[in-house]
Amino acid sequence: MKVEISRRRFLQGSVALSIASGTALSSSTILASSKEKPQVALMKKVPTICEMCVNKCAAIAHVHNGVVTKLDPNPYFPKSRNMLCARGAAGIHALYDPDRLKYPLIRTGERGDGKYRRATWEEANEYIKDKLVKILEEEKDNRSCIGYCAGEGLAEHTFKTFMSDKFGSSNFLNHSTICLQTAVSGYTLTIGGYGQADLENAKYVIMAGANRAEAILTPDTMDMFKRTRGRGMKLVVVDPRFTNTAMHADTYVPIRPGTDLAFVLALTYVAIIDQVYNRSYVAKNFVDFDKYKKHIIESEYTPEWAEKITGVPAATICKIAHDFMAAAPQAVYYQGRRTTWSKNDFQLRRAMALFTALGGGIDVKGGIVFGKKLPLGEHTTTAPMYANAKPRIDKNLAAVVGATGTWVGWRNMVEEGKSPYPIRGMFVYKQNPMLSVPNSAKTRTMFEKMDLVVVIDTMPSDTAMLADVILPECTYLEREDPVQSFAGIEPSIAVREKVIEPMYESKPVNEIMRGLAQKLSKPLWEITKKYDEDVQEELEDSDEAEFYEENGFDLAEPFMHDQEETNKHMFVEKYGEEAWGVLREKGVFYPNMLTYFKKVNNNTYEYYPKDKKFYSVLKLEEEYDPVAFLHDICVNPVDVADLKRSFNTPNKKVECFLGSMAAKGVDPMPVWRDEEYVNVPVGKFKFITGRHAQFTQNATQNNIMLLELMRENYLWINDKEAEALNIGFGDTVEVTSSIGQVRIKAYPTPKIVPQSVFYIHGFGAKSEGLTFAHRNGASDNEIIEDTIEPVHGCANMHETLVSIRRV
Amino acid sequence: MNYAMALEYQNCINCKACEVACKEENGVQLGADKQRIWIGVVEGTIFGKPFANLYPSQCNHCIDAPCVSVCPTNASHFAQGGIVKVDAHKCILCKGCMEACPYDARFVDDTMVAVDKCTFCDHRSLVEGGTTACQATCPTKVRTFGDLDDENSDIVKLLKTKRFFFQKEYTGTLPKLFYILPDDEAYAKQSVSHNTIIHTWEDIKPMYDEARTRRSKEWRR
Repeated sequence: MKVEISRRRFLQGSVALSIASGTALSSSTILASSKEKPQVALMKKVPTICEMCVNKCAAIAHVHNGVVTKLDPNPYFPKSRNMLCARGAAGIHALYDPDRLKYPLIRTGERGDGKYRRATWEEANEYIKDKLVKILEEEKDNRSCIGYCAGEGLAEHTFKTFMSDKFGSSNFLNHSTICLQTAVSGYTLTIGGYGQADLENAKYVIMAGANRAEAILTPDTMDMFKRTRGRGMKLVVVDPRFTNTAMHADTYVPIRPGTDLAFVLALTYVAIIDQVYNRSYVAKNFVDFDKYKKHIIESEYTPEWAEKITGVPAATICKIAHDFMAAAPQAVYYQGRRTTWSKNDFQLRRAMALFTALGGGIDVKGGIVFGKKLPLGEHTTTAPMYANAKPRIDKNLAAVVGATGTWVGWRNMVEEGKSPYPIRGMFVYKQNPMLSVPNSAKTRTMFEKMDLVVVIDTMPSDTAMLADVILPECTYLEREDPVQSFAGIEPSIAVREKVIEPMYESKPVNEIMRGLAQKLSKPLWEITKKYDEDVQEELEDSDEAEFYEENGFDLAEPFMHDQEETNKHMFVEKYGEEAWGVLREKGVFYPNMLTYFKKVNNNTYEYYPKDKKFYSVLKLEEEYDPVAFLHDICVNPVDVADLKRSFNTPNKKVECFLGSMAAKGVDPMPVWRDEEYVNVPVGKFKFITGRHAQFTQNATQNNIMLLELMRENYLWINDKEAEALNIGFGDTVEVTSSIGQVRIKAYPTPKIVPQSVFYIHGFGAKSEGLTFAHRNGASDNEIIEDTIEPVHGCANMHETLVSIRRV
Repeated sequence: MNYAMALEYQNCINCKACEVACKEENGVQLGADKQRIWIGVVEGTIFGKPFANLYPSQCNHCIDAPCVSVCPTNASHFAQGGIVKVDAHKCILCKGCMEACPYDARFVDDTMVAVDKCTFCDHRSLVEGGTTACQATCPTKVRTFGDLDDENSDIVKLLKTKRFFFQKEYTGTLPKLFYILPDDEAYAKQSVSHNTIIHTWEDIKPMYDEARTRRSKEWRR
């Protein structure tokens, strides 16, 4: 008699196995053990860290019979304050997405047609090795001929360690230049750090463009919306759109896109002319303030001047400047975590930082604070030196091109054939440049030109469809990731533990890198020996095997340890075995956690006692006990702000004038330049993009639970303009820019300023592998022009003009 | 035990975490019209300026629940602590309860072939220190679930210090979603209508206690 195993029995068997023995599934082991009774309880709770966006909230996964049934917030983590947003709660559907990449795939058709064959890991690695050997042979061991990019995440560094430290390519790209690099850099060069706005205590907050209700950031979102609407925090929202954040504002200020700099400069003008800024603070803590003051006054950045540019009434600007300074130092011009908008973005962020500093709201409770970071041990590796690896190709495209490059600039060089040496291939980890980098058509051409494209991902994204080899990573619920320390007012360490074993043939990136490195080490070493004169010279008087070993040419070495083992090593070194036990059990650790942590009620938890929080970190020159001083409520906060501080900038002060930037052709002080502003001609619209709270960029686009909340994106258009164009709700419109055209449904609304149109980023996937996301709405990067700003080469997301036509 | 929910609706940012957590926790059928919990959005313009108010909502678990009264098969019933539930196996899908409900809090679950609704997560919220999935997951902590009979419960402690109102109080069903009015007068005026009756714990308690005593005979244990 033939014995058949039903699907139900198959699942029961697999559950028993994955929990009881923890071994990988294979049909033979299931057959062997399906007769045995499961020996352990089948319910468990595992602490993990969410990866549905970049915030990394702590979660508890409920596992029932080997199936993840629920993700609940983990109350122990101070950064996420016992919450999981819609995306976090829907993480289960990332894990059980039917479209997930299940096994390695090798392309059989043309790039983009989606034809792949199933391969083993061995075959896939072999394929990559053959191509790489051929390419590196032709490029004479110039490792930089292979570019690589990675999306943000706890395991990003693991991938980077392989590509940068071990493989040796200098051409790295990540989210920075299509994200917040100008903001981070503008604040860092001005006040010494990007910092964190203390929204639990700030009394006056200007939020310009930032949208904390729809682009959730922890702990800012949770802290601020309990205090808006007459409950302690005055909120001014400056935005071309009436967002869910604007809904909470005491004052909503609609503004023309691209004119924020004029707005801030006018605020600064008012503060200076009316002498409402904190003069003793400025005297003690600013350098070159006289130059800045002179510049602001002589340039005549008056509110009346700004009104013409921004559309914000001069009286409103005056009132905001006065109210802000009256509340200072508990007043913040919120840094935001925004993409670069326009060419002046770096100057905008500098002006914002300087305006906050004028009130003294830096490194003080209720202002921008820098917090503390708990140390972790180190995990080191030896990076081999490759004499023929060339520097990155895009370093001259902007004044300061960092180690993460300029995505748009780099892509354009490769696509237009302007690279000084050929870029022959690309490794893509957890990023989807086809949807995330402006001008998708160019990104596509770039990939089509390459000889080897490898994509490591969990989903068959639009970018994966252009790959030669697709390697399936497991989702965040199926792996342990590097332990991480989270800086802040209430610092802590958290770890993502593996909740269930990886499904299908997917693997964590650590193991993917291990397998690939083991395959590549020796063949690539042969190429290095052949072309690398430094190595040849060294080898003349040393033993090859020893040299290979000592100089890190064994590429697999950093990936040989199990991630949990590495984490334990990094953690126990600093905090000991007992603390390790706490971290594994709770998922979170900070010194004294078990005594500090208190549940006040189901909604409120206390992580640190009030006097143990890290509001101020910088060394103050005057002698006093900073802890006692800063937490004594009898002390006037303005006096605290006044104290002379040591900023983490070159002059240890707030920097008004950046001489080093002037040498690179960048304005040393924020300047408004009419010629840089993109005017909107009659009949055209400026296209702006943004986020919302139900999807993370394009990473969650196929999540069926989130698609319940929003099926597709809509074009926001001012209702009066829509009426004139005879466009009604739900009508399909054609949006055309100089580089592309999309069709999308319209949403006429009074919630957007005239001459601007908007739709949410992250929709419009074309990959047929994405059953649910396929062709929902439109992708913004099909129409956003590929220009970059001059300081860091960041993509200008809000400078594209479009025309709209009803179809 | 008399379970209820207070909502600091001023905190709501319409992120819909509650809706997803509810669906995941309770296995609610997928579909845009299948919701145990939702956010009511009221938006428009005043003198050309946009405004919006959010009213997070779900079943009110009314003390005088009309959905229970109209049910011909006793499928709709009061469970422990006055939580209004549906026995799926008794439901004949007459949909009388859906008609009777002033809040449109019920829908047909096609997989169970029965009417489905919010249960206040009684499988997880009634244990010591437990709460509903929506309260637990909420980023801005809009909700406070608790027992109106217990003077020391989170909800009673909160209600004693605040003013509040109910949605559609005029239907007389004695709903148990308490909308906490902002302390700030200007904001309070912005989110309620002229006809909204504002309550305090002292004024509402006798009426709710009386009704509870009357109807709790029907509560199952």
